[in-house]
Amino acid sequence: MIIALERYWADYGCVLMQPYHTELAAGTMNPNTFLRCLGPKPWNVAYVEPVIRPLDGRYGENPFRFQHYFQYQVVLKPAPENVLDLYWSSLEALGIDLRRHDMRLVEDDWEQPTLGAWGLGWEVWCDGMEITQWTYFQQLGGFDVELVPAEMTYGLERLAMFLQGKRTAFELEWAPGVTWGDVYLEAEREWSRYNFEEAPVDVLTRRFGEYEAECRHLLESGLPIPAYDQVLKCSHTFNLLDARGALSVTERAAYIGRVRKLARGVAEAYLGMQEEDAVAAA
Amino acid sequence: MPSLLLEIGCEELPAGACREAEAQLPELARAHIGTAPSQLFVGPRRLAFLIDDLPEQTADLWVKGPPENLRDRAAAGFAKKHGVAVDELELRDGFLGVTVPGRELREVLPEQIDRIVRGFSFTKSMRWDESGIRFARPVRWVLAKLDAETIVGETSYGHRFTHGTVEIPTAAAYADALRAADVEPVADERRRLIVEGLEAIGGWSDPGGKLAEVVHLVEKPMVLEGHFDERFLQLPERVIVTTMQSHQRYFPIEGNRFALVANGGDPDVVGPGHTQVLEARLEDASFTFERDVAAGIDALAERLAAITFFAGAGSFAEKAERVAKLVERLGGGDASLEAARLAKADQASELVREFPELEGYIGAEYARLAGYPDAVTKAIEEQYLPDASGGLLPQTEPGKVLAAADKLDTLRVAFELGHKPSGSRDPYGLRRAAIGLVRLALEGGLTIDRELLPEELREFVEERLESLLDVPVEYVRAARASNVPDLGGVARRAEELYRERESPEFEGVYTAYDRAHRLAGKAQEEAAAQLDRGLLVEDAERELAETLAKVAIDGNGDIKAALESGAELAPVMERFFDEVLVMAEDEAVRANRLRLLLDVRDTLGALGDFSQIPR
Repeated sequence: MIIALERYWADYGCVLMQPYHTELAAGTMNPNTFLRCLGPKPWNVAYVEPVIRPLDGRYGENPFRFQHYFQYQVVLKPAPENVLDLYWSSLEALGIDLRRHDMRLVEDDWEQPTLGAWGLGWEVWCDGMEITQWTYFQQLGGFDVELVPAEMTYGLERLAMFLQGKRTAFELEWAPGVTWGDVYLEAEREWSRYNFEEAPVDVLTRRFGEYEAECRHLLESGLPIPAYDQVLKCSHTFNLLDARGALSVTERAAYIGRVRKLARGVAEAYLGMQEEDAVAAA
Repeated sequence: MPSLLLEIGCEELPAGACREAEAQLPELARAHIGTAPSQLFVGPRRLAFLIDDLPEQTADLWVKGPPENLRDRAAAGFAKKHGVAVDELELRDGFLGVTVPGRELREVLPEQIDRIVRGFSFTKSMRWDESGIRFARPVRWVLAKLDAETIVGETSYGHRFTHGTVEIPTAAAYADALRAADVEPVADERRRLIVEGLEAIGGWSDPGGKLAEVVHLVEKPMVLEGHFDERFLQLPERVIVTTMQSHQRYFPIEGNRFALVANGGDPDVVGPGHTQVLEARLEDASFTFERDVAAGIDALAERLAAITFFAGAGSFAEKAERVAKLVERLGGGDASLEAARLAKADQASELVREFPELEGYIGAEYARLAGYPDAVTKAIEEQYLPDASGGLLPQTEPGKVLAAADKLDTLRVAFELGHKPSGSRDPYGLRRAAIGLVRLALEGGLTIDRELLPEELREFVEERLESLLDVPVEYVRAARASNVPDLGGVARRAEELYRERESPEFEGVYTAYDRAHRLAGKAQEEAAAQLDRGLLVEDAERELAETLAKVAIDGNGDIKAALESGAELAPVMERFFDEVLVMAEDEAVRANRLRLLLDVRDTLGALGDFSQIPR
């Protein structure tokens, strides 16, 4: 399935990338989406992203919710006029007969407060199952996008369940004779325990402050790309604190505000850098 | 005269945007084409209208220029601007001007259509390319036909997956051409088809009101019936219904049956597909439900300290404590106290985090499963009632008390934090809470002490009485100023005053109050602080003071008796005004007489502020 998507989007002309090297709560947070969607340069990209959402862990007891799962992320910037048709064809490339199924685009607007980002779009339904999150970005890091990108985030487990006719993700066939459960179930149990019970609140709180300080320092040094990694680390640390139940509602809002401020700083610096490049090129 | 068809082709519009567009289309057509549409076509992928009998020329336009008396100074410039000679300017009503002749319709249509597309305003809109147009979702094509002639665009498009481009032969044939391409463009017709399909299955319901949205989720409605595994029937019914409706927009039928509306596809594939998705959702809900039940309602209640009620208002645990105190103040018994302790426990449940609309209901269910008696579980379930204007009140006594205490607490806390609603801003639903509270007193028969409402809040809550009671507002305002101790009593007093308004006793009290108020009301500062009986010199004033001392007005008592007692003052007052000069020369006497009159007013005022009632 992943290979089919890779082939399809590579043929279209997307740059194929690999997953990012630090924890992300969504493929959108990968700099190949977040940073590259800022500024005036066109960019088409596709990649698999393992996403880490501590709060969604269920100790491997719930067949549909995990703290670790996979997205397939495609970004076309700017969105071509036939972008929806391209998407539908990608489903055909996976073997879905669009005429036999009930395919629908159901309003679902996307917002990521920690990144100061939002867009309008849909969840894509295939016979009632949400298989893709579809978004036209409007703002990132608090800045209006210059070229409107289309982001397609395929839920790989959902799609695989649909294609394989499986009722739980654990039963998915990962490779001949190997199920998704064989590969990930034990990890789900252990990570859930870590996220909800063991993660050290004092250490995490301290680390958040350190990442935040480092981000500011890197921004002052004119290094927005390394600074962005610190934003990602802050965001993940915040998610862990949240899962540990260590934050009151007011504290939670304050942390989100701190991450958003950093993301905005990075977006601003990154845009500034692009402008300098453009001036230098001219 | 020709017909005009305009179609704006979009990527799938949200149902809310469809409704906004539907409301704006007629006015946009009138503003930019000059004629209202005879038919609208609104759906997820197209907004269109048909205008019959359109004049082929647009109307001549009169452009007003400078007034005639400024001809020498301004005419030349105006004429030049409009490309005519000065002597070609016309004169109308004292002004110079030019007539811009109407233009060929087909000539102006492209620019007018562009104005229409740009003229929509959506609550949420977006950009998608460099055109600068904002719309609810990207516009992908525009087609305009003047009868058989194509003015803008090329073709229309049929159903997304079964048909590609669709030739529209003439404006009038638009709907038929689309119907042949698996698209029903008329929203009402789609609704009719859906309802017809649901009726054919029978027994459907739509408690969450999803039909209006579903009409705009499909272009070719196909209604199918599904059955989910019976083991899920162990879940509480509303959990099943909410799972169906809030995520999947399905229509519940009894037992394990449901109806769904698809946008085409092979029924043998689509039906089982949706059923499997619903079962997965129910599986998820079961998992969550069982975890909550395993934790138990008492454990959930203990987690409330970690959940904020709203900013500045403490946790839900603190709210539960305050509500329990109010339950006591309202005279609630053991069942309502127990219910108050458990009422908010479901805020800590996973199911309410997933489906907020289940609050109350699911808490009651968890309490029932933990073995609490019906009186307690019923009260938990009823705590949010009435939840809509004219909605049902709690049916049980503990339910009424808990519902009133919960609303009272929300109102008190919100007002204390300065969240009084202003205009349409009422994020905490305080108006609804106030109306609910008043109805619990009026229809529910609860005694709610007005003392529980601090001044500003009391005003806010009692203002609700004005619209809820079938009595002129002046009587409600009069009653609000009475010394009646409870909310329901204020309402009864307003009704009593209104009922008695023509009785001789009312007349007597009214006149006595009115005369005292008119004379002494404005001279309040001159009046003595207290009546000095030693200063009463005239018989008539002594008699008034004596009669007044005997007047007994019981705030909670029988209005008839109170009015009769008060009316005794009428003849005495008459004599007083005949024989006594209130504004006496002696300052002390004058001050004492004013005090006497104010005492008359204030004693009668326990019945209400009669100055509010016009005569």
